[in-house]
Amino acid sequence: MAYAQVPLRNVVDHETASKILYDVVIVGSGVAGAIIANELSRNGFSVLILEAGPGHDFTIPGHEKNLYRFYSAVAKDSNAPYPATPNARMPRDFETKKLVNGAPDTSNSYFVQNGPFPLESTYAKVVGGTTMHWQGSTPRMLPDDFMTESNYGQGRDWPIGYDEIEPYYQMAEREMGVSGDVESQKDLGLRFAGQYVYPMQELPLSYLDKQVSEGLHGAQVSLDGEIYSMSVRTIPQARNGVPNPKYDEGKGYQPVGAVNTHQTSLGERCQGNNNCVPICPVQAKYDARKTLAKALGNNALEKNISSGKRIDLLYQTVASKVWIDPATDRVSRISYKAYGALQSSEHKSGEVRGRIFVIAANAVETPRLMLASGLPSTSGLMGCNLMDHPYLLAWGLMPKPAGTFRGTQSTGGIEELRSGSFRRNQAAFRVDIHNDGWGWATGSPYSDLLDLVDNQNKFSKDLRSGLVDRLSRQLLLAFMVELPAIKSNRVTVDSRYCDALGNERPAITFDLPDYVKAGLAYSRQISRTIFQRLGVEDCTHYDPYGEVGFGYFTFAGQGYLFRGGNHFAGTHLMGHSRNDSVVNSWQRSWDHENLYLVGAGSMCSIGTANTTLTLAALSFRSAEQILKDLTSTSGT
Amino acid sequence: MNLSRICTLVDLKYYLACALQLEHATIPPYLTAMYSLIPGTNTEVARILRVVAVEEMLHLALVANLLNAVGGEPNLLSKDFIPDYPAYLPDGESEFQVSIEAFSPRALDTFLRIEQPSRKHSLVEGEAAKDRPYYTNLRALLKVDPNVPRLAFDTIGDFYEAIREGFKYLYLTMGPALFKGDPARQLTPEYYYSGGGKLLPVVDLRSAFDAIQLISDQGEGYEGHIFGHEGELAHYYRFKQIQYGKYYMKEHCQQGHNDDHPPTGPELDVDFNSVYPIKPNAKLRDYPEGSELRAAAVDFAMSYNEFLGLINKAFNGQPALLMESVPQMFRLKEKAQALVRNKIPGMENLHAAPIFKLPK
Repeated sequence: MAYAQVPLRNVVDHETASKILYDVVIVGSGVAGAIIANELSRNGFSVLILEAGPGHDFTIPGHEKNLYRFYSAVAKDSNAPYPATPNARMPRDFETKKLVNGAPDTSNSYFVQNGPFPLESTYAKVVGGTTMHWQGSTPRMLPDDFMTESNYGQGRDWPIGYDEIEPYYQMAEREMGVSGDVESQKDLGLRFAGQYVYPMQELPLSYLDKQVSEGLHGAQVSLDGEIYSMSVRTIPQARNGVPNPKYDEGKGYQPVGAVNTHQTSLGERCQGNNNCVPICPVQAKYDARKTLAKALGNNALEKNISSGKRIDLLYQTVASKVWIDPATDRVSRISYKAYGALQSSEHKSGEVRGRIFVIAANAVETPRLMLASGLPSTSGLMGCNLMDHPYLLAWGLMPKPAGTFRGTQSTGGIEELRSGSFRRNQAAFRVDIHNDGWGWATGSPYSDLLDLVDNQNKFSKDLRSGLVDRLSRQLLLAFMVELPAIKSNRVTVDSRYCDALGNERPAITFDLPDYVKAGLAYSRQISRTIFQRLGVEDCTHYDPYGEVGFGYFTFAGQGYLFRGGNHFAGTHLMGHSRNDSVVNSWQRSWDHENLYLVGAGSMCSIGTANTTLTLAALSFRSAEQILKDLTSTSGT
Repeated sequence: MNLSRICTLVDLKYYLACALQLEHATIPPYLTAMYSLIPGTNTEVARILRVVAVEEMLHLALVANLLNAVGGEPNLLSKDFIPDYPAYLPDGESEFQVSIEAFSPRALDTFLRIEQPSRKHSLVEGEAAKDRPYYTNLRALLKVDPNVPRLAFDTIGDFYEAIREGFKYLYLTMGPALFKGDPARQLTPEYYYSGGGKLLPVVDLRSAFDAIQLISDQGEGYEGHIFGHEGELAHYYRFKQIQYGKYYMKEHCQQGHNDDHPPTGPELDVDFNSVYPIKPNAKLRDYPEGSELRAAAVDFAMSYNEFLGLINKAFNGQPALLMESVPQMFRLKEKAQALVRNKIPGMENLHAAPIFKLPK
């Protein structure tokens, strides 16, 4: 396996960068920015990437620092491994609080929460972006998901369809190294061109998955007059497994190992460490630094050396304002604030210039930057249509030990209810079977340990066997429910609420329509059916006064609780004209022809698929268009 | 049997059986050095030891493929397959021994001697073997019958060169019939990846040459260069990095660079004090009868032998079993680390060490 080599001297200083007119300036070093940077620089164009967060240490010891920060953290949230700074804050799920008397939470959490539901979703601000802590699940969206408005009268249609994105899905799956089984995905209505197989074979189902699969065997549910059989299938994921020799017409696939500046070896196959979120100890999971490594390596290309075209990365450099030339409506420059010490707000301001600008800062930060720059777009939709996946969790104890806490966090899921005529009336969902027990719902295994020690006075062998007995029977089903684009769910900024560098913080307004609540309620009903079939002791309880009680709601007389899915999308969605959308299908701004807003924010729907694969596919598609733009204007 | 040159299929199989033993013989010393590192320290050293050990396992699998390709049957379970450490590897003028011992400057020196590149490429034609600075007497290591004539090669590289010549010679006489082994017994690429190299199935002369080339490249480097022709750092130079406390950078290394060119990359942290002082070449008799320590040492040795047993099955017609050996290696590591944390009663400050071979 090749390791992902990053050149030793991979950064430029601010003074040098500010003197260069780059072909492309990219804001954000996450997966979208990294893909576009690599595509453009390998084709001979100069690129500057601005990354707000720290994390420029591309060595394995650097990765291990993050790993040990995670091991020693008391609150092991998704951002626990990564260095925090008030200058480029990351939302932390533990900051989320219930709103008091419905009044916005403007306290010191990063998000200003307008409610009615405060959203606990997070993202990372480090080199590599949120792929540093993502789970790595890479299902494709269903063809149906691209036209929910036409088909079901819900949400918004995309201006392009599944078949237009399909070739780019393949590119994204190659880039991220996806393990999966095409045949079982075809059952869901997904189309794959030619004899396509995923780069790597599916990761095997865990023992727990198999227990669930056996118990489910033949289970059917009837919904809106249609019968759905439920079964367990593997989840496609960007995680190193066994390369498929049939990939690429029999050429096979070379997995990409750990990121480093010099040759060592780490970056193995997934070995089931069970803390994919927030950090894979062996870098079996894809993160965007693997693509950044390639991008930065383009500095060594003969054509780039001879033409003097460079790709540069400025980290700890927060883009603070996008400037528009009033004469041309083109972006002329971006201002930044660059900081040194993480805990000091001392910083230097400056500007960078490019022919084309790409903002790939994620679906909250991209509209935040645009709105803070006074650019709400002609349609006024900048920041609107905020989507995320609300999750309903259901948990119980398997009748006998099922090997929970072995394997990667999720290997199997139930996907038959991702689409159907019922979507006219209630939201669709897919189910992940969690190999990490009740962790998400209750804080297992730490909460079990505390209970056994503090409340049951267990120690030594009793403690060990007590833990094994409790943990190995845990089953948690996570129902990912679709949320259509709704204009009133949105990201805004408010000059009263700024961070340490004086940048406006994002304010989130978020509610769930009955359509989604019905889907969440139905999920709970299905969980009961599944538990009954499996002989699972249902331990689910939704506490309106608990730590995560802010997600509590009632529907048709029953109480439920939803959790945030960390899948922000929709905030600069694509469409047919400057009046109905923010960007076109290439993710180019309708208002500013040299500006691309790239990422899940461009998506008109997210169906029941984690957003990263689709946004990576869209990034490849945009890169093609940007290349055309640059070629047609080169010399001007 | 003429052992200076491979003339028959029987000779070739014999050489390949020796190669299997040779490739395995380095694994216990590398693993033991790795296990002796106090967890959380020397992480960079651990990675280097690990990648070399893993690549030795790749070589083992490649040799199994070579042997299976010509209709042989790999056997990792014969009674002398695991050497009795310390194993002496005379180097001409003075002798050095390969021990299973804690990571130390001395152990590092041994590792460098094991992986020492062949000087063949710089030798003047006809130069006497005894003038070469290092050469390996495989007979001592491999328990070759002392009654048969001394093998006519002096380094591991030369040994593989003889195997290569053997394949070439036999192919000239036998043609494709040489590769009469069942292709289903071949281990294929999906079963391995790590630092570098590929688990190549051997089905013809070309793939046999490729497999041999990969083994010599990864060990001593391609024609003695720092980076092999696939761009991979040779084992000898991986270890050299530990001595220098610095990493080699490929972009700073050119053809013909060798020992005279120290590494130019980032610092590599080495802490010889953060190592458990385990007993070198520990034997079962070192652990008191009836003690938990002894039981743990026996448990490790049995697990190691089960591990070899599983690999042996994988090498003999059940390649898919190779996958199952992966969790076994994790368990071996856990068991070894549990051992090395404990002092041996009555041995001052010596800690327990894994043993790989139980007394008969």
